Amino acid sequence: PASASKTRKEKELFEIDFSSPLSTTLAEVIYTPASSNTVISLPKKDWKSKTRNLLPDDKHFNSKQLLRLFLKPKARMGSRRTGFGTKTSSFGQRKEEDVPEG
Amino acid sequence: TQVSAIFRDAQRTTAGHRKLVINLRKIQEACCYEPTSKKKGNTGAEDFDEEQFTYEFARCVLRVMPVKKSESVGERSIRFIGLFLRHANEKDNELLPENEQDAGVMMETPSTRLTTHVMNTILPLLTSKEKFVRYRSTQLISHVINSLEAIDDDLFQLLRHGLLKRIHDKEAMVRVQAVLGLGRLAGNEADGEAEDSDDDDSGAGLLQRLLDVLQNDPSADVRRSLLVNLPILPNTLPFLLERARDQDPATRRALYSRLLPALGDFRHLSLSMREKLLRWGLRDRDENVRKAAGKLFRERWIEDCAGTAETEEGEPAEAVAGEAKPPSFDGLLELLERIDVVNSGVENGVALEAMKGFWEGRPDYRDAVTFDDNFWDTLTAEAVFMARSFNDFCRNEGNGKFEALIEEKLPEVTKVAFYLQRYITVLVEALKRVAQQEVGEDEEEEDTVEQEFIVEQLLHIARTLDYSDEAGRRKMFALLRQSLSVPDLPEEVTKLTVEVLRGICSPDAAGEREFCSVVLESVADVHDTVMDEPASEDADESFHSARSEVSGDTTPTKSGKDSQRTEEENQEKAIREIMVNMKCLHIVQCMLENVEGNLQQNVDLVAMLNNLVVPAVRSHEAPVRERGLLCLGLCSLLDKSLAEENLTLFMHFFSKGHSALQITALQILTDILNTHGAHLLDTNPTLLKVYLKALKSGTKAPEVQAAATVAIAKLMLGRVIADSSTAIDDLLKTLVVLYFDPSSAHNQGVRQTLSYFLPVFSFSRKENQDRMRKVACDALHKLFEVQETMDDEGEAEIEMVSITTIGAHLIDWTDPRKCYGNGIQLGAGGDEAATKKAVNGDVHLEFARDILEKLASGIGREEKKLLAPMLAKLHISPASTPSLLKEVYDEVSIAIDDKLIADATGRN
Repeated sequence: PASASKTRKEKELFEIDFSSPLSTTLAEVIYTPASSNTVISLPKKDWKSKTRNLLPDDKHFNSKQLLRLFLKPKARMGSRRTGFGTKTSSFGQRKEEDVPEG
Repeated sequence: TQVSAIFRDAQRTTAGHRKLVINLRKIQEACCYEPTSKKKGNTGAEDFDEEQFTYEFARCVLRVMPVKKSESVGERSIRFIGLFLRHANEKDNELLPENEQDAGVMMETPSTRLTTHVMNTILPLLTSKEKFVRYRSTQLISHVINSLEAIDDDLFQLLRHGLLKRIHDKEAMVRVQAVLGLGRLAGNEADGEAEDSDDDDSGAGLLQRLLDVLQNDPSADVRRSLLVNLPILPNTLPFLLERARDQDPATRRALYSRLLPALGDFRHLSLSMREKLLRWGLRDRDENVRKAAGKLFRERWIEDCAGTAETEEGEPAEAVAGEAKPPSFDGLLELLERIDVVNSGVENGVALEAMKGFWEGRPDYRDAVTFDDNFWDTLTAEAVFMARSFNDFCRNEGNGKFEALIEEKLPEVTKVAFYLQRYITVLVEALKRVAQQEVGEDEEEEDTVEQEFIVEQLLHIARTLDYSDEAGRRKMFALLRQSLSVPDLPEEVTKLTVEVLRGICSPDAAGEREFCSVVLESVADVHDTVMDEPASEDADESFHSARSEVSGDTTPTKSGKDSQRTEEENQEKAIREIMVNMKCLHIVQCMLENVEGNLQQNVDLVAMLNNLVVPAVRSHEAPVRERGLLCLGLCSLLDKSLAEENLTLFMHFFSKGHSALQITALQILTDILNTHGAHLLDTNPTLLKVYLKALKSGTKAPEVQAAATVAIAKLMLGRVIADSSTAIDDLLKTLVVLYFDPSSAHNQGVRQTLSYFLPVFSFSRKENQDRMRKVACDALHKLFEVQETMDDEGEAEIEMVSITTIGAHLIDWTDPRKCYGNGIQLGAGGDEAATKKAVNGDVHLEFARDILEKLASGIGREEKKLLAPMLAKLHISPASTPSLLKEVYDEVSIAIDDKLIADATGRN
């Protein structure tokens, strides 16, 4: 699917010419079969996916958790120690905007 | 000829397809049927016969085959072909005599012959060498299968066989098309041909293979196409729903926005499946999935319930299909019941998020909802949750614009206290009944679960109320104080009660003292109530813990009746003592979680510490001891010297405890460091060892490892472990290695924490980035060794990311252009590119120097091969320190001269 944009630019108005007879090159393109089945197939090892293409369980780790004490989840870290506390909290908020969760 | 002219027009736009199909049909009729009506001689096609028409048609079809996927003319042509074949077949069937039409046998007509011919022409192209030919031929065949109502049996088998081969095509685009055609076939076969299981790979076989592809295809497009095209059957549904956790966000979204709405009534799903789908969807890492899941809940699931609620009321349900129905609160209550709100509505349950989205997205329900006296008199779990979630929503969302709704719809403090009292009484009585009941009557037990839930939700509401109304405040205060003294009060209710109490007392130091003394009074009450129960004649001296000191007046009366007591009685007594202790400690724990002031300045707390907590820590009963430890930890957060005194004790619990206790100990230690400063880490070298050891406990106790990772991430991001700390390099290096080490692959807690932490840490400060740079080479070396030993043992089970990838990560994390504070301000806009250029790039220069040093240090050839290319990927900024720039340049030159690195990586 990657070749999309390239061809689009080159010939904006691509049309199939139905009236003219089939040129030999085109016929070749159409009728040449693949040399073997394996050439056009997905390698067998890709038939199975170990993870079944599923995500692992999300742990939902985020910056809010970082700013909380383990034992007192309601109290913000450093809330009693003003100098240090203000620094941490502004630091944390910025991070939140900066980095998406997960 | 005319046929090709029609194809020419058809490729341009789909708008004219209907007309072109009719025109083409006229030509076909003219060719194939005896001229029944000579009058329309103007087609000029009468001179040709069917064979020529078929040939010409097939010739045009062939021309479509080599068209690239990106060209829309191909798409349109194929749709045209499908449309025509469908139309032609229908017309032919109309022309058939009545009796033959219903015979159930497929009659051969010019159009079936045409279809067969075209398909037979295209079939060999399925294995073409050219991928676009395979793509178009697969697309055409799938499209035709989906267009026609019936296909000749022999042909059908050929098509099916051909497509089946293509589900493992090398190109994803081909597989998508193959799967589109087969999805339909699988549906047909599963529908009616269970008896047709004689040939080996049909029916269930086909479905099975498609389900296999659904799970395993590496392309998300293929999986998504299958997801929306497979028939929804009892045996496919689990596989389809599993895609709620697909790696691809668009596939997950398709499940929520397309499959599930199409599924029909969600109540056919199992309870646990509903909960999972809701939880996964609403907490998805991708916002669009979350949105789709929220929409599903508030627009589809509610309608399923609202619909039945209405029919039960005897109203015409079908009248306004498609339109939004008026709010049905019976429907909403049923919806909450259907997601098992008693279980999903607890803290961290998904129901709260679901309802938040519901109130947000359904203003009609928001406006229509009422909570009258009758509502509060007859609360159910669902009803109270509705009120609680509404309360939460109005208070927390929309920047206060919904607060007027609370005034309007929810009762004032006094009333809430009144209802709360009522339901607490109901709960306590129910609990008593259960206690007196013989075991095994679970009907009553379920009842208390609901009653408990109701009380919890009311407390949640109470927590948010405004207590400026003095009468209401007093009533609530007295009620809570009294409830807290009930020994049977469940833990969660206790916890919430304590929290509400803290909220009622004023936030200042005086309020905190009031709060502590009130809670501790309750603790004394609880203790006395249980110990004075008739069954317990007297206290026993084996009971070491805090029992009497709290209330201060029960003097243990040692009696000589020990010998008379049966073993059983002794045991019972011991158990009761443990229970009391646990209960008291739990209340204290809840209290301490809400206390911030200095411990020593609060005599009540000091007494509690000495009389309850300290004895508990020394208890012989493990549960009591462990809870005591937690309380001691909480106390330590309020008092630095207490923390220092007990540091060794906490470490002892870590080294001797089971993994849950280890985690508690780690969390206590981390909180202490966070509260009292990290110098404790530097003055206690063994403490660092605790962390390092915890990080290495992966195989034995992965959850300890995960807890330690979070703990260190906290300490480092909070700059508690500061730059000056001696421990920081060791820890950071260990974390980096751990992140890539295959041994942590199954420890998602560790991996996900680190995938958040490492970049955030590096990019947030220049000093951090430099630290990352400092440990990078060592970490890389370590990981190289890990990989080598892995290769030796040939463990293919867990894959490790390549060293090259790891190197790329490290380079990225140390990229000076990405570091905050290097002139990159969020929203600074404007000259972003320019500022990026001007960034001081010393970090990467230093990194280069590290790598060069490493290269010169006599490491193995293999490792050199991996390190050298990293040099080329570093960002060399002209704004770096000139002397350093020069220095590194010289070193590079020397390295090239010495043939350390193969090629000169053209640098300035």
